[in-house]
Amino acid sequence: MSVTFQSIRFGTVEIAQEDVIEFPFGLIGLGGLQYTLLDHNPGSGFHWLHAVDNAALALPVVSPYQFFPSFTLEIAAEDRERTGIEDTTGAELYVTVRATPNPADITANLRAPLLVRDGRGYQVINTNADAALQVPLFALPTQERIAS
Amino acid sequence: MLILTRRPGERVVIGDEILVTVMGVSGHTVRLGIAAPEGIPIYREEIWLAVMEENRAAAEANVDALPAEKPAPPTERSSAPDAGDTAAQALERPQKPG
Repeated sequence: MSVTFQSIRFGTVEIAQEDVIEFPFGLIGLGGLQYTLLDHNPGSGFHWLHAVDNAALALPVVSPYQFFPSFTLEIAAEDRERTGIEDTTGAELYVTVRATPNPADITANLRAPLLVRDGRGYQVINTNADAALQVPLFALPTQERIAS
Repeated sequence: MLILTRRPGERVVIGDEILVTVMGVSGHTVRLGIAAPEGIPIYREEIWLAVMEENRAAAEANVDALPAEKPAPPTERSSAPDAGDTAAQALERPQKPG
């Protein structure tokens, strides 16, 4: 069975029913109870977390591990209880992205990642002190080369 | 806004299911204990505001504001993953709808 929804960014989108992700509490400050993940460009690493019930609501997301190899998630006891996710093994993890035309200014929010498991999604607070709200997604390769 | 005066150990009840207890007061710091039904998210205001701001900013993105492909990654990111990285990658199973 498939689900069809409208998107101001992508027009009419058809997805499989099992690709609908229920967010029982929505996203903080944005709401939205049903989302799905759409690929941006294969190989780009970006996906869109797109609301199924709101044509205008979509956020770019990435897997934190793909861009931040040292990323670690620590979630507080209340978030573990709320989500029912005690152990994040087997859960998909995404972080939201602030997009800008200049790639060097694109940042990811490592403080409030999205946990997805078994068709349900939750935005949780990462209590790891190193997890900042705005972390540049792309280190500048030129600086790396100068350093080496 | 409702304003109440409470002493340490006293409580405020919100609806039938949310209990806020003043655990203690020390100088300018008040410790609160909050008992709410499982599932009601509770945040410190500053983190709630900051995440809301990030979410809203993220949701303003146009499709063309994202790179079509990854800019050339620094060498450390393109090198073979070590054991820790492999474990991390195992957590990721991106869905590929369509």
